[in-house]
Amino acid sequence: MITLSSYLAISFLLFVCGIAVMIARKNIIAILLGVELILNSCAINFVAYTRFVNNNLDGHIMSLFIIIIAAAEAAVGLAIVIRFFQIRESIHIDDATQLLQ
Amino acid sequence: MAINYLASISRYVPELLSVVIMVGLVLIESCYDNSERKKGFFYAATFIGLLFVFINLCVSLTEAPSAIFTNSMVIDPFSTLVKIIMVLGTMAAIYLSKESKDIYGSLKSEFAIMTIGVMIGGMILASANNLLMVYIGIETLSILSYALASFKKNEERSSEAGLKYSLYGGISSGVMLFGMSHIFGMLGSIQFPEIMAGLYELSTFETAVLIPSFIMFFAGIGYKIACVPFHMWAPDVYEGSPLPVTAFFSIVPKVAGMAVLLRVTMVFFGQEGALQVSWVGILSVVAALTMTVGNVSAIGQRSVKRMLAFSSISHAGMMMMGVVVVSEIGTRSILFYSITYLFMTLVAFFITSFVADKYGNDHFERFSGLIKRYPMMTIMMSIVMFSLAGMPPLSGFVAKFNILSALLSEKYYILALIAVLNSVVSLYYYMKIIRLMVFREVESMEPIVGFGALNQSIIMTMTVPVVMIGIFWSGIMHLTEGASIFLGK
Repeated sequence: MITLSSYLAISFLLFVCGIAVMIARKNIIAILLGVELILNSCAINFVAYTRFVNNNLDGHIMSLFIIIIAAAEAAVGLAIVIRFFQIRESIHIDDATQLLQ
Repeated sequence: MAINYLASISRYVPELLSVVIMVGLVLIESCYDNSERKKGFFYAATFIGLLFVFINLCVSLTEAPSAIFTNSMVIDPFSTLVKIIMVLGTMAAIYLSKESKDIYGSLKSEFAIMTIGVMIGGMILASANNLLMVYIGIETLSILSYALASFKKNEERSSEAGLKYSLYGGISSGVMLFGMSHIFGMLGSIQFPEIMAGLYELSTFETAVLIPSFIMFFAGIGYKIACVPFHMWAPDVYEGSPLPVTAFFSIVPKVAGMAVLLRVTMVFFGQEGALQVSWVGILSVVAALTMTVGNVSAIGQRSVKRMLAFSSISHAGMMMMGVVVVSEIGTRSILFYSITYLFMTLVAFFITSFVADKYGNDHFERFSGLIKRYPMMTIMMSIVMFSLAGMPPLSGFVAKFNILSALLSEKYYILALIAVLNSVVSLYYYMKIIRLMVFREVESMEPIVGFGALNQSIIMTMTVPVVMIGIFWSGIMHLTEGASIFLGK
C-alpha cells in the first residue's frame, strides 16, 4: 500500500542525497546534479500532497513550474561552468580559489 | 473571466511595459550594427522606456490596493513604492554601466537588457501573493543575476563569482522550495490569504512541524538579502563582479528580498501566537548578527568596493530590524530606509567606479588627496559617507532614527542598543575614506576621465535627496503613510 508517508520518505531521501552530493562531491557538474535532486524532491512533495491531501491543482502547477525553472537554472549554471572551464581548464571546485581572502 | 483578466492587466502596466522594453532592446541590439548611432538609440529607448515605467508607477501610487490575476498578485502602495525604488536603481545602474570601463564595450547592451530582467523579477517578488509567485520572482531575479555576476567573461574572478553565486543560489532555492512544499501540504493552499486563514486553526503539533518549514522558506529569502547564515556568497560575488553589477546587486535584489520578507512576515505572522514569537525570535537574532558581521568584516578591507559590499550587508541587517517589529510603523520605516539607502549607495558606487576606472583598482589609497583635484566630488562623497554612518542632519540619520523608534515602541531595547553600537563601529570605516581624501597628499594630478561635467552634475543631483530627505523628512514619511501591506481579499 503506497501512502503519503512513503512518498514523503522518498522525497526526503532525495533531498538528503542532494545535500550530501553538494557537500561531498568536488566536481562542479556533480554539484549541479545535486541541485536537480533537491528540486525533484520538492516536486515529488508537491504532487504527493496534492494527490493525497489537498484536492486542488495548486501542487501540480507548482511542480510543473519547478521543472521548467530547474531547466533554466541548469542551463545558466552549465554555461557559467563552461566559461570557468575555458579559463581555468578544470571543473574541480577546489580550483575556484581566486576570491578567497 | 475575460473582463476579470482585462481589469487585472490594467493594473499590471508597469511590469508589462518593462517586458516590452526588454524585448524591444533585444530587437534593437540584434537588428543594428555596432555603430555610435545604434548606441544612442539603444540608450534613448532604455531611459525613455524606464521613465515611462517610473511615471506610471508614480501615478498608480495613490490607487486603492487590489488583488489581481485570481489573487496571485497584489498591487498595493507598498509594492508600488518598492517598484519605484527598483526602477530608479536600475536606471542608475544602467547609466553607470554606460560610463564604466569595467564592462566590456560589446556587452554594455546586454547589461541593460539583463538588469531590466532582474528588475522584472523584483517587481514580481514585490507584489507576490502566493508561494508560486514568490518562487518565480526569486528565480527570475537569481538566474539573471548569475549571468550578471560572471559578466567579465574572460576574467577568472568574475567567472568564479558567477559560479559561486549559482551554486549557492541553487541550493538555497531548493531548500526554500522544500520548506514551501511542506507549508503547502500542511495548509492545503499556496495562496497567501488562504494560508493565513488556515494558520490559526492548527494544533500545537502541526504548528511545531511548520516551524522548520518556515525556517527553510526563510533560507531562500535570506539568501537574497544576504543575511548572516546565508551571507557567505556575498563578499566573493560582490568582489568578483564588475563594479556596476555590484552597485546593482546591492540595491535591487536586496530591496526586493526585503519586500518579500516583509510581506511574508505580515501575512503569516501578523497575529500574536506561538508562531509569531518563534519567527520574531529568529529574525531578531539574524538581524543583530547580520549587522555585526557586516560591520566587523568591513573594517579590515582594502578595497572600497568590498567595504561597500560589507556595509550593504550591515544595512540589510538594519532594515531587518524594522521587520522584527511586525507593525505598520516598521513597514514605513523600512520603506523610508530603502529610499535613502538607494541614493546613498548610488552616489558612493558612482564615485568609486570613476576612481577605479582611472587606476584599475579601487583600493582606499586611490582616493588620497581627492579634495585637491575634485573638491565637489570629495564633498559629495563625504556627505554620503556621513549619511551612511547615520550622522545628523543627513537622511541616513533620520532613516536609522525611524527604525530605532519603531524598535523602542515595541520595547526591543537590546536590539536598539546593538543597532546604535553598530552605527558607532561603522563610523570608523566610513571616516577612513574621508580622512584619506582630505588629509593625505595627492598621488598624481592627472585628471580622472569619469568626472566630466555631466557625470559630476548627475552625482550632485543624486546627492541632493540625501541632504534634502534628512531635513524635510516628513514629506517622504507622508509618502510611506498609506503604504501598508494589503493582505489580499
